[in-house]
Amino acid sequence: MAEITLHNVTKRFPDGTSAVKQASFTVSEGEFFILVGPSGCGKSTLLNMIAGIEDVSEGEIRMDGKIVNDVDPKDRNMAMVFQSYAIYPHMSVRDNLAFPLELARLAKREIDRRVERAAGILQLADLLDRKPASLSGGERQRVAMGRAIVRQPAAFLLDEPLSNLDARLRVQMRTEIARLQRNLGTTTVYVTHDQTEAMTLGRRVAVLRRGEVQQIGTPRELYAEPRNLFVAGFIGSPSMNFLPGEVRDGRLVLPAAELALARPLRDRLHGRRSVIVGIRPEHFHDASLVEVGNTDGAVVEAEVDLVEWLGADLYVHFQMDCPAGRMGALPVELEHAAKDANRISLVARVDPSSRAAEKERLRLWLDASHLHLFDPESGENLGG
Amino acid sequence: MASGRLERIFWGAGSLIVVFYALLPVAWIASLSLKRPADLNDNRFLPQAVSFEHYRAIFQDAQFPAALANSIGIALVSTLLAVMLAMFAAYAIVRLEFRGKGLVLGGALAIAMFPAISIIGPLFNIWRTLGLFDTWLGLIIPYMTFTLPLAIWTLSAFFREIPWDLEKAARVDGATPFQAFRRVIVPLAAPGVFTAAILVFIFAWNDFLFAISLTSTNDARTVPAAIAFFTGSSRYELPTGSIAAASVVVTVPVMIMVLAFQRRIVAGLTAGAVKG
Repeated sequence: MAEITLHNVTKRFPDGTSAVKQASFTVSEGEFFILVGPSGCGKSTLLNMIAGIEDVSEGEIRMDGKIVNDVDPKDRNMAMVFQSYAIYPHMSVRDNLAFPLELARLAKREIDRRVERAAGILQLADLLDRKPASLSGGERQRVAMGRAIVRQPAAFLLDEPLSNLDARLRVQMRTEIARLQRNLGTTTVYVTHDQTEAMTLGRRVAVLRRGEVQQIGTPRELYAEPRNLFVAGFIGSPSMNFLPGEVRDGRLVLPAAELALARPLRDRLHGRRSVIVGIRPEHFHDASLVEVGNTDGAVVEAEVDLVEWLGADLYVHFQMDCPAGRMGALPVELEHAAKDANRISLVARVDPSSRAAEKERLRLWLDASHLHLFDPESGENLGG
Repeated sequence: MASGRLERIFWGAGSLIVVFYALLPVAWIASLSLKRPADLNDNRFLPQAVSFEHYRAIFQDAQFPAALANSIGIALVSTLLAVMLAMFAAYAIVRLEFRGKGLVLGGALAIAMFPAISIIGPLFNIWRTLGLFDTWLGLIIPYMTFTLPLAIWTLSAFFREIPWDLEKAARVDGATPFQAFRRVIVPLAAPGVFTAAILVFIFAWNDFLFAISLTSTNDARTVPAAIAFFTGSSRYELPTGSIAAASVVVTVPVMIMVLAFQRRIVAGLTAGAVKG
């Protein structure tokens, strides 16, 4: 078990591109820490640097206070699970599990004992003499996990371990990994591009984008208080809706509605005129189902494009007219760019008892107490 | 259905013709080697009576057993060294980024294309000066030179197929770079290693040009060269039977080797390493 500290860690490739820029964070002992971000954000590179497979260009990585930048991967006592599982195909499951122990020159009896135990924990006992080629995806995944836990390492490094599994198995293994980590209490760094995985698994989550750490916090913090537009858009599914807004006489003017701005929020605007407004889908409500008027809010009327019924939820997709250019350059970066420059697609998550139907007009009530305001230039959250 | 049967007949007949065409000379040589000396010109394909006289004759002569030992020794040492070197070279080419990588590969290819006959003369002189003429080493060196490029190309193709994650996994699991290479990469590249080994071995085993030019005595003369020095038991007798027997004897080890390694050259050895 170990504490892992990164201080201004930077990775530059020979061609001059930086995969990771000035990453600094501490994973405390026994913590389940998640690195999440879209593909190409440098999260795997960061993990490889912690494992020692890739060199650190700048900055330092410490384990329990000791700088490990130049320590060979074999001497770091970390275990890694790869997205591809990287099980040795020429060895049986038993030999795969025993491999790290043999390299550590453990006694034969100790190796057998540990392999049996790991196999027991991961239900691999019946598969020990099989070759990886005859295993299913889920079984291979468990072998890879088993090879990591037999060593009783200082830390687990998991690089998208679930992304090759089908949806049902992924959810099952997700719980399994969470339980395993809690029982073993081993420091864990987990890389994923899936924000749902990040939110459900992590004690703390670091959101990365283009090699830069955007925000580090508990899943709740990231969801409720995203530091900038990127985190706001990345965390949460369906993702946050963004609208251009204008502040006039203490009121916030949206493309299809106008509402009063609460005092503390107004103070933080420092006289800004235009803002980007972020609204979580669940902060729209079917106006016919709520008592409009007891809290701040506004009613928006729109034509429904598409209705997705998920049992406990109802997703209503609709569009809003919006003059082109008012969103600035940021929505493009967020890949939220509407197909039609003058219309914005929005999603509302309403009560399933709503009578919303496609191609009909629907009145939605917008809860103003949960609005996020962002600076259109920098993308910073103005509320937090 | 009819077209299916027609197709089967077509492929079956085609295969038969090819096998027949390729094996007929071999069968003929084998038949010749088993004939009695007096029957050699009897215009029959099969021997009238099977006799091992020619085999006895070539092994009684001092020349042939010595040549056989040379052939086996030189071919094995060349194979071992060439494959070892090629393994390291191919691995470096596949895994490492270094200056002049393209030059190494291109140079290797150029060497493989080089006509051996053009270097025989200079090599003969150099070897005489250096004292390598008529020694094992004197043949092993050119064999390695000419087979290394092929071995490097073959092996790098195999190494390229091995997922890099496996090596990273081994390193994180506590292996030194060499342990990762020996315990994970080499076993997975085994089919490639055997393929390269067979190619090198056959080249060294079959070579006549270097063997005839760079040797002069039983110290290093290999079988293909030695056969050329066969003489009949009298000056009026052609050594046809002995040559046939010697040819059969040198063909057998190659056949055994290919058949033995064929089982190891199984495709799909890496199946199951990564998600498949």
